[in-house]
Amino acid sequence: MERDDPMSKTATRSYKAEQVIERMGQKLNRQMVGSLLACVHCGMCTESCHYVLANPGDPSYAPAYKGDQIRKLFKRHYDWTGRLFPKWVKADTVWTDEELEELKDTVFGKCTNCRRCSLNCPMGVDLATFNRMARGLLVSVGIMPEGVAVVSKDQWEIGNQMGVLKEDYLETLEWMEEELQDELDDPDVAIPIDQPDCDVVYSINPREVKYDPRSIADAAKIFHVAGEKWTMASEGWDMTNFGLFSGDDALGGSVAQRLYEKVVELRGKELVISECGHGYRSTRCEGPNWAKYDVPFVMESSVFTMLRYIKEGRIKVDKSKNSRPVTYHDSCNMARSCGMYEEPRELLELVCSDFREMYPNRTENYCCTGGGGAMSMSEYTPRRLKSGIIKANQLKETGAEIVVTSCHNCVDGLTDVIRHYELGMEVTQLVNLVANAIVIEPKVAVPVEEELVAVLALAGRTLLVADDEPDQVEFLATVFEDNGAKVLRAANAEEALELARAEKPDLLTLDLAMPGRDVGEVYEILREDPELESLKICVITGRPELRKLIYDRHVRKPEGYMDKPVTEDSLVLAVRRILELAHEEAAAPAES
Amino acid sequence: MSELLHFSEHTLQEVALGFMGLVYTTRIVWFLKFKAGTERQAATGPKGTTPTKGILYSWANIAMPWAMESTRRQYLIYAQFVVFHLGVTTAIALSFIIPYGPGLLENQALVLILQIVIAGAFLVGVIRIIRRVSNPYMRAISSPDDYFSLVLLTTWFFFALLAVPNQTSGGEWHLLTYFILTAFFLVYVPFSKISHYLYYPFTRYYLGKTLGYRGVYPVRRAG
Repeated sequence: MERDDPMSKTATRSYKAEQVIERMGQKLNRQMVGSLLACVHCGMCTESCHYVLANPGDPSYAPAYKGDQIRKLFKRHYDWTGRLFPKWVKADTVWTDEELEELKDTVFGKCTNCRRCSLNCPMGVDLATFNRMARGLLVSVGIMPEGVAVVSKDQWEIGNQMGVLKEDYLETLEWMEEELQDELDDPDVAIPIDQPDCDVVYSINPREVKYDPRSIADAAKIFHVAGEKWTMASEGWDMTNFGLFSGDDALGGSVAQRLYEKVVELRGKELVISECGHGYRSTRCEGPNWAKYDVPFVMESSVFTMLRYIKEGRIKVDKSKNSRPVTYHDSCNMARSCGMYEEPRELLELVCSDFREMYPNRTENYCCTGGGGAMSMSEYTPRRLKSGIIKANQLKETGAEIVVTSCHNCVDGLTDVIRHYELGMEVTQLVNLVANAIVIEPKVAVPVEEELVAVLALAGRTLLVADDEPDQVEFLATVFEDNGAKVLRAANAEEALELARAEKPDLLTLDLAMPGRDVGEVYEILREDPELESLKICVITGRPELRKLIYDRHVRKPEGYMDKPVTEDSLVLAVRRILELAHEEAAAPAES
Repeated sequence: MSELLHFSEHTLQEVALGFMGLVYTTRIVWFLKFKAGTERQAATGPKGTTPTKGILYSWANIAMPWAMESTRRQYLIYAQFVVFHLGVTTAIALSFIIPYGPGLLENQALVLILQIVIAGAFLVGVIRIIRRVSNPYMRAISSPDDYFSLVLLTTWFFFALLAVPNQTSGGEWHLLTYFILTAFFLVYVPFSKISHYLYYPFTRYYLGKTLGYRGVYPVRRAG
């Protein structure tokens, strides 16, 4: 009987459910209320969602249906029609934590907040906005996918969403600076850090530090050639913002403010945001609103910056250097929430000789499947990959060999889809193509006769790959072997332990979710074995929530960590970096 | 004309309209009490896109079936939408024409036009009922109000169709039913999904304002 009265003080509603209902009232604004009231259940939005298209016959993916799971609460508690005639308008409430878990499955697991349905709704109902609100409500009571909790925690506590430590970040910048000096044969090339009064402060995605440092070097190359007075910040450099995905405005505001205040501290004139869809949207568009902060400097995407440099003649490019057919994937956040879809194409036309449009495109493009933080929610991976068939078909029809995108989430999402559907395409970003197309005026030529010796990146190394998925083992092994390494293969933790003891490899790549003996336990044994002291371990996992299996142990932490999917380039770079750092550490005492 | 029909055409309609106006006013006042979100950031998107352009585009969106993929691809459903809403407008207009300008209906051409429009809307109503009942996606999102509103309007169209000639030679029952249904419709609307048109200007206004400011609206598509 008590359940018939949603407002009853004596009803047996869980504390969390009570809080969700109460906090909904604090989150509602006029835009959201309009969207919650205006849906007429016309069904026009249904086919705009890639989840629906990939799951024919299952109405639970339909945008209006998903919206109703939130709308029913609003109607029951905040709208009089729902209060007076709840069953008549399908108004309902939540009583238990299990019901909140069901809501979690919908708002996190069946929607990437891509906003495609919003732009296809004749009534202008913005599902993505109130879906994000619902995520925020659940997060506020601790109900969220574990990956979201892990990443949010990192961003709150460490200051960036991948938990990159300051020393690792600075080391990577130093490493990329050296790479660039070698590439340009110019010892004066620098990646400046904390330089005050610069024209540009460059902010990046921590993914670039961990998996794609080449994009930092490419950006540095562009700034250098353009003669830009620029700097990166030693702290407050992460332009990504998990608050956008989790719906946590407090996190969103805090992260954005950290970035803004650093630019103010450095007296930077402009904040340039590297290519990242949600990072750009969060920093450029939503951050000032979340943080209630009036930003006193200019902010722009690096796409605009690169385009400006070319137009102003500050860099010269040769499009014939990028001759393979490319297509462009519009990030949802860039195209549907920030209106950025012509500039990337303009830039592509300048730096590529064979650009092929993808259909549909711009604001009508389909999600890469990795939006809305989906890449961090491993429990929904099978669902995500299934929905990827829509993207896969779109990609295949372009006939391109390379997919370009201006978003790191899209890079990962697309890489996953391409691998799953065996499309054999590469994913890259504009910064990589622009850097590759740059024409650098030659210095005074001094003829030197040199014998060029091609050295493979991992030549002479022995690597042990431990993963229970045969496809993953083959992928990793092939990449390592192609780069000159000798590869050992293990299908479980026990086998990895035996091979490590017998063969003494230089590095072990370790999956965290393997059958048989506990991976965490084996990890601890490996770390405590004095004979394996020099063994480097790089965790490669699709389940970030299992990190605690390793990191909670009182032994040396792994030297590297990568989320699946990994790309060939990021894998080789990460492994090289671990091995090179190990080499430098070993050499250090002798030099001092 | 019987006293009952006169009452139904005048007093009943006026009371029902007054009630609807009162509830709508209350509804709008309640809605406006929710604070509108604002944007602090500088505008994004190409030069020339503004909130005003975004709002105008957003409002006009429904009249531009080519602007959205959903209406472009489902053009038959869009056509049904047009016919259905023309029918609603016509049937409402009829409830004013009969009591206040019956002379207009002496023009047989106008009567025929009104009947064609309303008959079309009735037909669409039937199609929509079938679609809502037979399509699993539509069933999953439908509430009792959705079914009832659709059946109510379709029935109303039927009687409006009969009422258009404003003839009482065969009895008044069809006119009486039409006006009683109209009154019921006016009283019921504020509590049902039919009141969506009340929110349409607001949802579209805010979506257009945001997306205009951010350079998404007006949408540009590749050829």
